Amino acid sequence: MESATATVPRVLHLGLVVGGALLDVAGAKLGRVDDLIVRLGEDEYPPVTGLLATLAGRQVFVPADAIQEIEQGCVRLRAHRLDLQRFDRRPQEVLLRKDVLDRQLINVDGARLVRANEIELARLDGWYRVVGVDVGLRGLLRRVLPRALAGSIETTLFLDWASVEPFTGHVPTVRLRVPHPKLARLHPAQLADLVEQASHDEGEEILGAVGDDPELEADVFEELEPRHQQEFVGDRSDGEVAEVLSHMEPDDAADLVHELPEERREEVVRLLPLVQRRRVRALLGYDPATAGGLMSPEFVCVFTQASQQEVVDRVRASRVSAEALAWIYVMDASKRLVGAIALVDLLRSDPSLPLGDFVEVAQTVRVDADVEEVARLMTDFDLTVVPVVDDEQRLLGVVTVDDVLELVLPRGWRRQFGLFGE
Amino acid sequence: MIRRLGRRRLVAVLAVLGPGLIAANAGNDAGGIATYASVGAKYGYDLLWMMVVITVSLIVVQEMAARMGAVTGKGLAELIREEYGVRWSLFATGSVLVANLGICISEFVGIGAALNLAGIPFQVSVPIAAAGVWLLVVRGSYKVAERVFVLMTIPFFAYPVAAILAHPNWGSVGKAIVEPRFQLNSGYIFLFIATAGTTITPFMQLYVQSAVVERGIGTDELRAEQLEVTSGSIFANVVASFIIIATGATLFVHGEKTVNNAADAARALKPFAGRFAEVLFGVGLLGASLLAAAILPVTAAYVIAETFGFEKGIRLRPREAPVFVAVITILIGIGTLVAIIPGVPVISLLVAVQVVNGILLPVTLFFVWRLAANRELMGDYANGRLFNLLAGLTVIATSALSILLLAVTFLG
Repeated sequence: MESATATVPRVLHLGLVVGGALLDVAGAKLGRVDDLIVRLGEDEYPPVTGLLATLAGRQVFVPADAIQEIEQGCVRLRAHRLDLQRFDRRPQEVLLRKDVLDRQLINVDGARLVRANEIELARLDGWYRVVGVDVGLRGLLRRVLPRALAGSIETTLFLDWASVEPFTGHVPTVRLRVPHPKLARLHPAQLADLVEQASHDEGEEILGAVGDDPELEADVFEELEPRHQQEFVGDRSDGEVAEVLSHMEPDDAADLVHELPEERREEVVRLLPLVQRRRVRALLGYDPATAGGLMSPEFVCVFTQASQQEVVDRVRASRVSAEALAWIYVMDASKRLVGAIALVDLLRSDPSLPLGDFVEVAQTVRVDADVEEVARLMTDFDLTVVPVVDDEQRLLGVVTVDDVLELVLPRGWRRQFGLFGE
Repeated sequence: MIRRLGRRRLVAVLAVLGPGLIAANAGNDAGGIATYASVGAKYGYDLLWMMVVITVSLIVVQEMAARMGAVTGKGLAELIREEYGVRWSLFATGSVLVANLGICISEFVGIGAALNLAGIPFQVSVPIAAAGVWLLVVRGSYKVAERVFVLMTIPFFAYPVAAILAHPNWGSVGKAIVEPRFQLNSGYIFLFIATAGTTITPFMQLYVQSAVVERGIGTDELRAEQLEVTSGSIFANVVASFIIIATGATLFVHGEKTVNNAADAARALKPFAGRFAEVLFGVGLLGASLLAAAILPVTAAYVIAETFGFEKGIRLRPREAPVFVAVITILIGIGTLVAIIPGVPVISLLVAVQVVNGILLPVTLFFVWRLAANRELMGDYANGRLFNLLAGLTVIATSALSILLLAVTFLG
């Protein structure tokens, strides 16, 4: 135990560091420590770059190189004197107490928002750094109790800073300068959940952080509830909205266009790239609550006389999503749907057999079928994809199970978390 | 053109109808009705002028809270924690929990008393009402719950009708509204302060801001929301004024000057304004108590969840927001239990609640005022200079009254 404490750096609690005395090298009290400054960005554990202290009623900045030692209850300087400097925030610098403590952070590994009840520091690689955040009640209790009692509350497990991403949008000068690389570890659906739970500005910050990757941003948008899609589309120009839409699945893009205020729709659609514009236009004609509104125009459909090889080549060349590719559709010379082939059956079979041997009867819905009907058909026939046809049995698109599940999943099943984000 | 604009504005207000109306009207609860009824019974219309002043103050305060919700997307408790630190935040949270629990108990007592007028024993009515309220808040979606809350304000129309049935002298009513009359005796001052205290209560600011956030009202709908808060506050205080008028025209005139509680007021009206007036007062009391019995636990849950960073929202189910639902459940549970146990001293309980609220109100109002004026937080939506002055005056005056009430309560 003794040796372990010698190698593991002692954890300092921010709540006990701030409010402590600022001492000169001889131990004489100069003033009071108000806040610690750290630089976010490059380092895994952000280093302390200085502190703010009150000396004789004036707030002054103390740079890191003037600091000898940071302790709970006091900070010791290297010299007897201190050059009085004003604090000018440099890029990526945040004040730990003012900007981070008590505020929301993203627990990236837990994919949820947490509140910083205490910030933990330690001496790592020769200098003081932020090592983690306490989101439990102990950290909170320690800060409420008087100093004398607070020290007796043990350090508990806390969230490693490596799995935490702070919001910095409220900090005046670091706006847009601090990247949030850890967010890339999250699934678009998790990012969307975070955006929905966060306040509007925090949500913007998350979207802004993933904005460098248009595909990812579009995926997050697809996962947002319509109410929140509208919220964030409202702040964006028509061009920006079109940019997001161009990377979305056509059916989701069309749904979002439906949600736009009427006066914006035409302009946004006009700004879409040609192919996406055509698809979205075609889908816009349908009521969003019907099979027509749910379907995606992306699928693979072949003529009855095609060979197995041709089908496999078509699948290889297509950019259709995996869900929609579970079934390959077969049509006759007049483009009427005659059946469907499970892609897996095809891959497992003898390549010389004619295609006709695998064709099964396709269960279809008409464009005006409602969600319940589509869901019922999927349940009854164990389908993950349902083809949508017009009056002449021509295939218009496919509805995949993900679009239906979203609508039929009971409220309250979507998210589930433990008490704290540890 | 103007008419069309007016209609568009009305549609916009109806679209956001909810937070402000509910927050202000939940204040016309069992305790509020008892206070207003006493005011009318004891001093007739003499305090009516004050309702105008209180209404303006209420609008100023509620507007700031709603605006903060729309601009920051955060609840008041959350902002207090972020801007003023954990100690103030825990103090506010603790007081809200105690105060709201106390008021919650009085609401269930009110529900029992209202239905008792119809001969239903409270051991039956209170648990059923509690179960209904719980299901609505916990199992219902936000939209459904809010709609029901809005519908619960309809019984308030019973009071204007009851007031008309009481045949007041409308001339003296009008005169009393525009002509301030002040009496320098302790009874008058006490009721004066109590009225201010029951009309502007901390939970109103907390609820309106959290509800604006949960509804997702942003700055694009801010104008409509401001109108909604204003009209909701006016409606609530017009209702309150009619309670004063109803008892002022009957009990005061006939020298029945003591009203102990809201059900008492209903019973006392009967000989002077008829059986129908009693029924109307009972209906109003039931609607008011039900509404507040739902809003107070919800407000406490919002505050706890915002302070500690738990999942929150009426739209969420127990497993999504366990703490939020637990707080609601515990408050409703304790409220119900205490209300059906006979012999609980409700009056002393209400006095205790008044004390806690009296301590909390200056704190909440001060934070609302300072936060809404904070440019760093609110940007261009921060209080303007003139408005900020008005808000400061309101906060100081209301807080002073609140502290005075504390003094009066303690010193007897």
